Amino acid sequence: MSTVSVAYGDAHPLQRTPWARYRHALWLLTTRDLKVRYSTSALGYLWSVLDPLVMAGIYWFVFTQVFQRPVGTEPYIVFLLSALLPWMWFNGAVSDSTRAFLKDAKLVRSTKIPRTIWVNRIVLSKGIEFLLAIPVLALFAIVFRAEVGWELVYFPLAILLQTILTAGVALIVAPLVVFFRDLERAVKLVLRFLFYASPIIYGVSNLPSELHIWAAFNPLTGIFGLYRAGFFPDELDWFNVAISVAMSVALLTIGLLVFRGSLRQVLKEI
Amino acid sequence: MDATTAVAATDTAIRTDGLGIRFRRNRGGRRTFKDLLAGRRRRTRPGEFWALRNVSIHVRPGEAIGVIGRNGQGKSTLLKLVAGVMIADEGTVQVTGGVAPLIEITGGFVDDLTVRDNVYLTAGLHGMTGTQIDAKFDEIIEFADIGDFLDTPYKHLSSGMKVRIAFAVISQLEEPIMLVDEVLAVGDKAFREKCYKRIDELLAGGRTLFFVSHNERDLRRFCTRGLYLDKGALVLDGPIDDVLDRYNSDHGTAK
Repeated sequence: MSTVSVAYGDAHPLQRTPWARYRHALWLLTTRDLKVRYSTSALGYLWSVLDPLVMAGIYWFVFTQVFQRPVGTEPYIVFLLSALLPWMWFNGAVSDSTRAFLKDAKLVRSTKIPRTIWVNRIVLSKGIEFLLAIPVLALFAIVFRAEVGWELVYFPLAILLQTILTAGVALIVAPLVVFFRDLERAVKLVLRFLFYASPIIYGVSNLPSELHIWAAFNPLTGIFGLYRAGFFPDELDWFNVAISVAMSVALLTIGLLVFRGSLRQVLKEI
Repeated sequence: MDATTAVAATDTAIRTDGLGIRFRRNRGGRRTFKDLLAGRRRRTRPGEFWALRNVSIHVRPGEAIGVIGRNGQGKSTLLKLVAGVMIADEGTVQVTGGVAPLIEITGGFVDDLTVRDNVYLTAGLHGMTGTQIDAKFDEIIEFADIGDFLDTPYKHLSSGMKVRIAFAVISQLEEPIMLVDEVLAVGDKAFREKCYKRIDELLAGGRTLFFVSHNERDLRRFCTRGLYLDKGALVLDGPIDDVLDRYNSDHGTAK
């Protein structure tokens, strides 16, 4: 019965390793997301760059032209973008994860792929958009002559850590929204709060010193510090990074447990 | 973790033991985090009902089974549990080899992508690799008979065409088990004949068929064995003619 498929040179799906099947389906859905996004708009790729650029432009104007007391470090536009671009990834992935099951309900109901793919493909496709936006950061760093140090090697570490954190949060949010629809709006609100509560438009050193310890418990603080370390070595604080690692791993563990525990109910509900 | 596991036994295509699944009667009912995360041992709460309970069947490879019952008696749910797209609250499902599910088939297609992209996406999600799809692509398109619309976004197709392309993709999967849930009711007569011929071919090739339908003629045509579900319980498991006779006498729709 399944001997026919051997003729095509590839093994039957059940003869491939689970990991190979997981990757195959994850990649299919991720590329579908990107294809849909870029094929339905004329500007395509530009949108994923335009959005953070406009925001960066606004903050640059407000904090260097309007207010006299500047926050962050010069060149401020590079300072902003080095946290704003990763923030767009986190923000986009978490807010899209609220619709991870609802948007593709029919597809989820008719295929049997490992269900964490429905969440992870969002983290991955937003992550790819982030990677595609990095040349913009490089361009501004060159134009504004930002000093680049050896600490730039921490950039990949920051990406890894952010992947763990984002996947963890998205795995918690996605199944819960299926039961509590209000969470969709609550998540948007929390994200807006988190934007100002994270060192994006400012650095940790701009905060009053009694707030430093609280800032450290925001896992994004350590991650943004790592991203900025290459241009602004003062932003790197290993205490923040350590807490960020612990929080990210803990959130991913909680995420996997919540996801596994609620899956049976999610499949009935959608 | 998953109730659907592949086993190596060769005399079993599908085996279920004491299969049961329950749903909430009212969607808006209050629920707590505790029931959400509770596993399968949680007891039935008020407002819940068993859509299926104590269903034990054993299907050998190559059998063609018709599932019969009135609306809402658990037929589609049984198919979904076998397909592994839902997880049982009680009991187990074992499926040998893969499953080609013709359940909500048009659901897997994305409106904004072209027919070509959609074929690759759906076949890929069911486990086919790019090269396998390349090899089958022409056959799929020829079967669906929509040659001129290959690069049209899926949303612009007529509903009949959508079903045709979906059936063409799923029926090309090289899986030993085929699940068919009333999809043949749509589509014009000529295409329906084509689908019947395709199912006949697959059956002749030794596939196992699990077929849900209200159409007695279709059931008698394809199936040798019937399962009669009523109120979530398996009432009768026997030759298709006996099962249909029993169903007709229970519900007064004798021909």
